[in-house]
Amino acid sequence: MRKLTIDGREIEVAEGTTVIAAARALGIDIPHFCWHPELSVAANCRMCLVEVEKQPKLQPSCQLEAADGMVVHTDTPKVREARRAMMEYLLLNHPVDCPICDQAGECKLQDYYMLYDLKASRLWSEEGKVRKRKRAIFGPHVIYDAERCVMCTRCVRFCAEVVRDPVLIEVHRGDHSEIAVAPGRTLDHAYSLMTAHVCPVGALTSRDFRFQCRVWFLASTPTICPGCATGCNAFLDHHRGEAFRLRPRENPALNRSWLCDDGVLAFRLHNDHRLTAPELGRGDDARPVAWDEALAEAATLLRKVPKTQRAAVLSAEHSCEENWALAAFAREALGVERFFVTGRTAGTADDLLRHADKNPNRAGVRSMLGAEPEPLERLVDEATAGSIRGAVALGAAAATQGPAAAAGLLRLEALVSIAPRRGPLPEAAHVRLPSPSFAETAGTYVNARGQAQEFPQAMSPRGEALEVPDLLARLARRLDLGLPFRSAADVRAAVAPRLPRPAAEGGAP
Amino acid sequence: MPYVVRRPDRNLWEQSYVPETVRGLGVTLRHFFRNVFGRRDTVTLLYPEQRRPYPPRFRGLHRLTQRDDGAPRCTACLCCQTACPAECIHIVAGEYPPEHPLAHVEKYPVEFWIDELRCVSCGLCVEACPCDAIRMDTGLHPRPVEARPHLIYERNLLLSISDTAGNVHTANPRKK
Repeated sequence: MRKLTIDGREIEVAEGTTVIAAARALGIDIPHFCWHPELSVAANCRMCLVEVEKQPKLQPSCQLEAADGMVVHTDTPKVREARRAMMEYLLLNHPVDCPICDQAGECKLQDYYMLYDLKASRLWSEEGKVRKRKRAIFGPHVIYDAERCVMCTRCVRFCAEVVRDPVLIEVHRGDHSEIAVAPGRTLDHAYSLMTAHVCPVGALTSRDFRFQCRVWFLASTPTICPGCATGCNAFLDHHRGEAFRLRPRENPALNRSWLCDDGVLAFRLHNDHRLTAPELGRGDDARPVAWDEALAEAATLLRKVPKTQRAAVLSAEHSCEENWALAAFAREALGVERFFVTGRTAGTADDLLRHADKNPNRAGVRSMLGAEPEPLERLVDEATAGSIRGAVALGAAAATQGPAAAAGLLRLEALVSIAPRRGPLPEAAHVRLPSPSFAETAGTYVNARGQAQEFPQAMSPRGEALEVPDLLARLARRLDLGLPFRSAADVRAAVAPRLPRPAAEGGAP
Repeated sequence: MPYVVRRPDRNLWEQSYVPETVRGLGVTLRHFFRNVFGRRDTVTLLYPEQRRPYPPRFRGLHRLTQRDDGAPRCTACLCCQTACPAECIHIVAGEYPPEHPLAHVEKYPVEFWIDELRCVSCGLCVEACPCDAIRMDTGLHPRPVEARPHLIYERNLLLSISDTAGNVHTANPRKK
């Protein structure tokens, strides 16, 4: 252990800790561009210079290892003057095109300019500035503006060290230096949006988010990424009922500071193909109706099917609360004994974050049901054979696809679908009941490691969508059947003891 | 806090009402005869034949200014929308395609709506604009209309409005 003093406060840190990390532990934010807690030290931005007693020159705190008896001052006039001078250098050739820059509002150059510089550039003429590449397409998700770049090389180090795909390189020298994609390559690995996210300025920006919304309009709600079974901690950025992006939320035990491209873009599950009103009928006969009519039709259809031929389809895409409510409704009100599970089809995995199971809550479905649910293929088989004739299904995605599966689902005499968006299951249903998206309900996911993680509600449900427990309570009333729960609090209380174990520590909201 | 309301002390002359009424009428008549037969010092204008000149900083209807090539000066930075306390501005930003002559500007307003019914004419949008793209120097009031949607002005209409001198362009302040 090493004991040092930063701004008059003592702290004891492990050997090898840098001064900037020690200061961060004390809650002192030393300005920096190139330093990132998860990346190697570059010490090239020179923004984190601090004064250390008995050392004649200012020291870069990101590279300076904490030593016993070290006395550090992070906010002396000498340090502030160094920061101001650094800002003047960094902004020397900056285009100052904040009005068209997507980073504006969350840009470190803007923040530190307001904190430490606040002076007009002495190189005021546009013609005197070094002009570089603008709007360079780096990959399917990322666009690069060399004039805004401060050459901190965070992106280069992120690609090389975290993704282990060194696709970005530095080219040229001095004020002509810029970031480039390695010859013959594009920035197309699975973490390219994270490459843009680590950029402290507006040099690398997302092509998906480009010009969609100014960041200061966005409200952020902590959430769990619904993209796969890893369950990365994230922030959902949204504005007026529309989601715009997912951002990683630091959790050293799980996703550290990262999120994959599919995760950042998983907000689309909230925006696209939404079901906003109850509907009756299949294909061209589909028509939106009022809730009363839809529930009456669902009740009539379900009544016609004998108990032994009813089934329930749980969804690995949905939270434990929604799945438990459906399982309880099906078991105790409908008398269902056959439970199936649906979800998005499996995809690619890697050893960093991505899990092959593209559903956030398969483990949760298992613990809510208390048994292993059967796969959806078996429901299709039994529907084709005629041994199951009616079902209540949660979720939009069908784990099995293709004409045979669709034909099997169409054989069902009563299929009531509860889904936030359109998809194969709702399309095959006789009654479609809109439910909230992952962002519109609070809940719990259990990830592939068996960690239960709660997330709050970010927005109110779109259109006429109803929370699943509420919706099932109304359906049970239509069927004149009793339910084992009355409110969302009942559902939460029932779910809590069934959860495997509390969430991993370290998820700072 | 309770307090006693003091009634005015009136003498008999005032209390008898009629003489004081006649005296007040006299003041009115004095002004009437002076303005009709004598020196006129009324502040009334015979609108609309006579109009009072507006002060030069009068904040009238908005206009969007044009570049020299006729394209909107606005880069859809949404600063005006952010500053607007009445939330009457709505902008949808777009990107110039790479082959467009203004491709270097990158961003432009595909849609630009101002709800003149909600606008409180505070002028904060003009102050917020970093590109001198929105101005309120038209000297105009919103026209009377028969339906509310007609007062929700869209991009091309706003671009076509000129200032009092007939200008539709502004210069790029950064190139001066």
